[in-house]
Formats: sequence, structure tokens, C-alpha cells
Amino acid sequence: MNNELLVDPAALREEVKSKYREVAHNPNGEHHFHTGRPLARRLGYEAALVDAMPDAAVESFAGVANPFALRPLATGEKVVDAGSGAGFDCFVAGHQVGPQGKIVGVDMLPEMLEKSRRSAELMGLTQVEFREGLLEKIPVDDGWADVVISNGVLNLCADKRQTFDELWRILRPGGTLQFGDIANGKPVPAGALRDIDLWTG
Amino acid sequence: MLAEVGFVDIQISPPYDTFGGARGEKKARLFEVYGHTFLAHKPGSP
Repeated sequence: MNNELLVDPAALREEVKSKYREVAHNPNGEHHFHTGRPLARRLGYEAALVDAMPDAAVESFAGVANPFALRPLATGEKVVDAGSGAGFDCFVAGHQVGPQGKIVGVDMLPEMLEKSRRSAELMGLTQVEFREGLLEKIPVDDGWADVVISNGVLNLCADKRQTFDELWRILRPGGTLQFGDIANGKPVPAGALRDIDLWTG
Repeated sequence: MLAEVGFVDIQISPPYDTFGGARGEKKARLFEVYGHTFLAHKPGSP
């Protein structure tokens, strides 16, 4: 496979950080995507579960699909959320696996990690933990996860092969990868694929 | 990519109109961009 990178990973990372730092601080601002409770409704999340969460746990949610739509998590599963943002999917996952399970959210943005840790504490979700890290080098042991989830993040990684290799590494044999992401029905012109602004907006 | 890495039993959900009504809708429609849920398994037994 040709793994030529279309954009500079470090430059893309800085652009993504800038965009999502704004989502953390100003979730109801002018973004090119939906956020928060309206987005969760649009993507079919369980209304009663979302309604019961405090605003801080939901308002910065910026996923693109519902990682639980094809398979709800099972009680006691160990789950990694790759690119956990403000933690919304980790909180849904924490509810599904229960106190016997374990959720590790991984994100590169300190502002999102701080927000997600505060929300987890507020909701008493002691089975949910957040770690700082990149998806190209996930801070989780080999084969630890029963399930890896993600939502709207993999399309923002410049080196997708390395990222998917990492997801593979942290999953146990027989484990499940379930994630939300975008796909385009019409081809994007070659020049546009190298335009970082189009990757994030 | 999923199959190249080795994942099996790959499923893809129907599309979500993720960007409908958002500021990014026009650009999303241009390239028919929609959200999907993807499901796949790593072969083997625990």
C-alpha cells in the first residue's frame, strides 16, 4: 500500500488542536458542524441517558455518527475511546459497561482532558479515566481493550495506517473496533486533499 | 484500510446526515459527505 502522507502530520495536528480548543471553550460558537445535545439527538443517542448528563458533559460533543449504533457495549468490557474530546462517548460507554467495566479516553488536547475529567468526577464515573496522548502512539498496553471506540477523529489523523495499526495493537484478539467517521460519496480533487483547511473545515 | 490492517466482519451503517443544517453543510453536500458507524473485529480468541 502507498502510505504517502497528504499533509504534514504536525501541521494538521496544530490545526486540529486550534479548532477543538475552541469547541472546548466555546461549544455553542460558530462551528462548521453541530455540537452538544442537538447533535446527540441527530445521531440517535439514547435521549434519557443524554438528558441526565450535566451540560458540561455534553456541550462540547462534536462526533459525526454513533459508535454504539451497531453494537451496544456489554457489561464489564474494557474500552478505549481514541480521541475522546470532552468525554461524551466515554460517559455513554461508562453507563453501558457499568462499574465492573473500564473506560480509557485518550486525547491530545489538555483543555478537553481537563473538561472530561471534571465531568467524570461530577457524574461519579470512577470507571472512566482520561490519558493524554496521540492516536499514532496510544498510551495503552498491547491487547488491553475488549473494544475500541472513536468518533469523528480518525479522518483527522494524517497517517491513517499508523493510527489503525495502533488500534489493532491495543485490541485483544477477538476484540471489536466500532467507530463513527465520515465518508465522501464523490471524489475530492487531488489538490484539495493536500489542503489542511479542508481537512478540518 | 480496515481489511488491509487485518480486521474482519466489517459492517457499515446507513448514513447520518451529520452536517445537515450546519455551517459546513454546503461543503459536505458538494462531496456527499455523511457520517457512518463502522464495526469490525480483530480475529482470534481472547
